[in-house]
Amino acid sequence: MSEVLADVGSGESVQLVDVPDENTRARLLRLGFLDGSVECRHHIRKGPVIVRHNGTELALGAALAEEIEIERPTAEASD
Amino acid sequence: MDGCHDAGCDASEIDADSTLALVGCPNVGKSVVFGELAEQYVDVSNYPGTTVDTTLAEFGDYQLTDTPGVYGISAFDEEERVTREIVLEADAVVNVVDATHLDRDLFLTLQLLDMGIPTVVALNMMDEAEAGGIDVDVEALEEALGVPVVPTVAIDGEGFDELRERVPEATAPESTDIEAYYEELPDELEASRREKTLLVEGDEDLAREADVGGVMADGGSPALVDPGLREEVYGQRRSRVQSIVDSVQNVTRTDESIGDRLSDLMINPLTGTPIALAVLGLIYYFIGDLVAQRLVDKLEGEILAAHYIPAVESFVGGLLPEAGWIEPIEFLLINDNLGLLTVTVQYIVGTLLPLVIAFYLAIGVLEDSGVLPRLAVLTDRGLNRIGLNGRAVVPMIVGVGCVTMAVITTRMVGSKRERTISTALLGLGIPCSAQLGVIMGLMAGLGLIYWFGYLGILLVVLGVAGVFLDRTLPGESEALVTELPRMRIPRPGNILRKTYNRAKMFLREAIPLFAVTALAISALDYVGGLAAIQDGLRPLTSLVGMPTDFGQILVLGLIRRDFAAAGMTDMALSSAQVFIGLVVITLFVPCILAMVMILKERDAKSAILMWLGSWVVAFGVGGLLAAAFGVIA
Ligand SMILES: Nc1nc2c(ncn2[C@@H]2O[C@H](COP(=O)(O)OP(=O)(O)O)[C@@H](O)[C@H]2O)c(=O)[nH]1
Repeated sequence: MSEVLADVGSGESVQLVDVPDENTRARLLRLGFLDGSVECRHHIRKGPVIVRHNGTELALGAALAEEIEIERPTAEASD
Repeated sequence: MDGCHDAGCDASEIDADSTLALVGCPNVGKSVVFGELAEQYVDVSNYPGTTVDTTLAEFGDYQLTDTPGVYGISAFDEEERVTREIVLEADAVVNVVDATHLDRDLFLTLQLLDMGIPTVVALNMMDEAEAGGIDVDVEALEEALGVPVVPTVAIDGEGFDELRERVPEATAPESTDIEAYYEELPDELEASRREKTLLVEGDEDLAREADVGGVMADGGSPALVDPGLREEVYGQRRSRVQSIVDSVQNVTRTDESIGDRLSDLMINPLTGTPIALAVLGLIYYFIGDLVAQRLVDKLEGEILAAHYIPAVESFVGGLLPEAGWIEPIEFLLINDNLGLLTVTVQYIVGTLLPLVIAFYLAIGVLEDSGVLPRLAVLTDRGLNRIGLNGRAVVPMIVGVGCVTMAVITTRMVGSKRERTISTALLGLGIPCSAQLGVIMGLMAGLGLIYWFGYLGILLVVLGVAGVFLDRTLPGESEALVTELPRMRIPRPGNILRKTYNRAKMFLREAIPLFAVTALAISALDYVGGLAAIQDGLRPLTSLVGMPTDFGQILVLGLIRRDFAAAGMTDMALSSAQVFIGLVVITLFVPCILAMVMILKERDAKSAILMWLGSWVVAFGVGGLLAAAFGVIA
């Protein structure tokens, strides 16, 4: 089972690789959240995850964070 | 409004009644830019067929239209649909871009240019970019986009002379990289560049109407192109955005601002919860106490009830001749329950108007400071349990002030499902401040333990009702997806302007509705309808262990909730009966005006179900309490 955004702790940088819901995927793509890595600013326990990309912060509800598959950067890569 | 919608046009054709749309992402300063550009008449109205407000004004030879903030032109929600519609018909666009968020904002800009819409970019927030160490090469950006780019600081009015001057230069590049995708469309398709761009992005509405070689493509599958194409187009546009940003922007330093630190504090539940409670407490003090109690008491009681109503009564009494047939008219105009010229006016001017203004002020401050989305983040987890997401926090806060108004704010909570749930909860168990004042007074005589019991019962009922609705309504609630804009100190000018526009808009919608409702209720009263209802209520009043007089309270409660609570002050009741009575009238139907608003905002079926549901819940819970207290007669 691959990891999802809900597993990510505050402060980590990850890449969002699969967003199952088509509309949410298009919205994240539009905002640039699917290019490169995003930083997880906060993760409220059982609540929303706040991610940041190029200065834009987005809160994603828990149900969504459970669905979004992520990849952790290999070794160095971050933004 | 039409013009080049179908024909496809270029900038040179702008004529006297061209429309100029102001387009940009949320919070980029659009409304400040609008205020700077607008000359003369400003008008707010619902965009036809929607619940979204749009503002119109004149600017030179243009009709200037504000649009809801969006990150792109598509149809993911109602706001986006409105913006899409306006943009499709606009002759030119001023695209407001936040200089500190180029990477986010240029997607929309490039989309507008791909659509071939004559555009001028207002590069706003230049002051914040400078303060944040973000250097934007304006000339290089202008070169890269191929349209005028004017740096502005909207709140200081900087850059507007140039912006005004350059609006007529609005243009779009002759062709853009999107054209490669037009080949995916059927050859015989007759469509403008704007339409083609949206069609390759899978726009369903346009696909449905598309004219493919004289045959309307209706009936069949709505998409003209492969569903995966949108992502390819978006991805290609994103890479263009990135290469532009890389070449025009230079970030010299990144340091945490005070806003960032405050934002961290607000989002972390440990520190955020007390901050949020303090903010809510302050709002409650301002609206619930200062405005709803003191100001409204003064206006309604000392001014309107003491001077206005007697004056109108004697004036109308003197004006109308003494005759039998005149009596019903006199009753409609000046009866004590909901007379059109007396109590209705007293209610609208004395209660509603101050509350509406106070609310819009408070909401404006929360919005402009960036507190609102952070409250949504904090409450999201709790609200998820009752089928809502964090965005529903607004109607719930507003509801404690005035349910009628709160029903309007359910527009911002997301999908229809969430709107239904939040409206139902508002109607069911959120006591409005007018009523809460009287309830607090009555509870004070009973003691603190009853107060907690009262709040506890309301919370349980709201929780159970929310979970019930979440389980029974079809579909699934949307998860929270919200941007957290930078926190900043709100500007009074911007807030006052928004408050004025919103209040005007609310009253324009509400007053005619309320007038008609008042006449209908008074007519019912006159023909003895209210008395008949009171009789019919007898079985219910005994079910909850209350004397028959309580029927009259309920009838008043149908009209105005605080009347009901106030009516209980004069009744001889035991403590248990006061308690049960208060719970029942709180859970009982929303006041007639809130009900009319619910009917307007939701469909008739849900409104009636909500209304009936309130009866069932109020008397169900009341009956249980009566049994528990052993007060059944
Ligand atoms: N520092 C700064 N703040 C601005 C500027 N323009 C707008 N604002 C503020 O940004 C916030 C959002 O502006 P608003 O016009 O309401 O955004 P809209 O959502 O696009 O209509 C408000 O608090 C404004 O006072 C600007 O040029 N510089």
